[in-house]
Amino acid sequence: MSDIVEKTLTALPGLFLQTPGAGGPAAARAPFSSRLGGLIRGITALTSKHEEEKLIQQELSNLKAAVSAPTTTLKMMKECMVRLIYCEMLGYDASFGYIHAIKLAQQGNLLEKRVGYLAVSLFLHESHELLLLLVNTVVKDLQSTNLVEVCMALTIVSQIFPQEMIPAVLPLIEDKLQHSKEIIRRKAVLALYKFHLIAPNQVQHIHVKFRKALCDRDVGVMAASLHIYHRMIKENSSGYKDLTGSFVTILKQVVGGKLPVDFNYHSVPAPWLQIQLLRILRLLGKDDQRTSELMYDVLDESLRRAELNHNVTYAILFECVHTVYSIYPKSELLEKAAKCIGKFVLSPKINLKYLGSHSGSSTPDDNN
Amino acid sequence: MIQAILVFNNHGKPRLVRFYQRFPEEIQQQIVRETFHLVLKRDDNICNFLEGGSLIGGSDYKLIYRHYATLYFVFCVDSSESELGILDLIQVFVETLDKCFENVCELDLIFHMDKVHYILQEVVMGGMVLETNMNEIVAQIEAQNRLEKSEGGLSAAPARAVSAVKNINLPEMPRNINIGDLSIKVPNLSQFV
Repeated sequence: MSDIVEKTLTALPGLFLQTPGAGGPAAARAPFSSRLGGLIRGITALTSKHEEEKLIQQELSNLKAAVSAPTTTLKMMKECMVRLIYCEMLGYDASFGYIHAIKLAQQGNLLEKRVGYLAVSLFLHESHELLLLLVNTVVKDLQSTNLVEVCMALTIVSQIFPQEMIPAVLPLIEDKLQHSKEIIRRKAVLALYKFHLIAPNQVQHIHVKFRKALCDRDVGVMAASLHIYHRMIKENSSGYKDLTGSFVTILKQVVGGKLPVDFNYHSVPAPWLQIQLLRILRLLGKDDQRTSELMYDVLDESLRRAELNHNVTYAILFECVHTVYSIYPKSELLEKAAKCIGKFVLSPKINLKYLGSHSGSSTPDDNN
Repeated sequence: MIQAILVFNNHGKPRLVRFYQRFPEEIQQQIVRETFHLVLKRDDNICNFLEGGSLIGGSDYKLIYRHYATLYFVFCVDSSESELGILDLIQVFVETLDKCFENVCELDLIFHMDKVHYILQEVVMGGMVLETNMNEIVAQIEAQNRLEKSEGGLSAAPARAVSAVKNINLPEMPRNINIGDLSIKVPNLSQFV
């Protein structure tokens, strides 16, 4: 910790000695990033909230002039936009810049588009009237041959998109589910999940495509589809009992180390994936003996395998224990789970103590 | 689902604010302040989870935080996320920042706030965890950075820009390469003891 503070302290004088970015012919030649730097340096030099407010208001009026001036190039607009984002983050209103953010996303080259999209996702909200102006840009970018543009469009769709315009982009995104690049398929799955959250009736017909995503050859896409399944199973678990076998198989493969090695996190195979699968199995097996019986083996295996002492194995063990408690009970598994919780509560690590004592309150009252 | 991701320093100044649920701007600022006060009260040897403040949704939501040197990284999540899993996700995020910025410190987050947002966009998308593998995240960011370098020298002719960008191949990360144990230089983080 001390060397980070040291690095900060040694860097500060060097920054303050640089010429400030505002005003003067030198500023025009100075790199644009120093404008934001200048603003930030200005703020850190101030001591009171009142002065900060004054400085930011001054900056905002400069920016207002800059964004409305017809001579401002898109590159300069990009730089202004970053400063606007900074001011909004500190809590000052910069609504004059919203329309320019949309313009930047529409007309800019790749980098300007990226800043424009970022600004839009931070400034606007789903029912904002300006958002409709963005829909055309998103549609265009979804059809672009440049993969980075498609990724950006998919990201913005899942962050913020007006509900009424979903039908406009739905077929394009469904198309992306079959794209050859794994990252696009994955982002498309999550974008469709977002649609399911805000307008479930409009995505009813593509549940069969979600199933295909579940069996996708790329683990990342399959993992993304688990988010959707977790939600849908939570709402209606009986509709998905037939998938229990698939989830159990996937979990068996993960626990057995069949995934490629770069999914290992500190030599634990895909821990977040295991946690997600365990949660899904918990929902499926609740109060249902036949479904629970399918899971006993893999739960036993997970409890056994998670013996390493890294924090994330505790996460997996915790989920496992919770699942064992929630599904139809089996005595040997319950014993092992109880031992595990005992270890948690006795552990010197405070987080584990908290979780262990918390889950103690939800233990089934009798091992029958 | 993740409600919000907040990064602020020891004095409560926000360094990164990302909400995945709609709150009016005034409320957003209040949430940042409220979260800061909740998290500041925590001792170093208390566990890293606490209930969300009343503004963000109360006891239905949990705040999971980690304190690194001068910064607090706080993820506000609902009950569908695993607390220990999110703790490790924060670790992955910070390690990725370290890889992209080389020995990251608070100044990097301050002066390159937009870059941090782009990295975060590759980790969490729309409130859902998109990618947890640090190398994959870095690969996506590098693809975007390469476009930045190639565009820097071009004139404003859009056609040339478009064709230059079209010819770039995004790297295919082969799944069967044994990357092995990377020796990552991470900042001196406060570990679980």
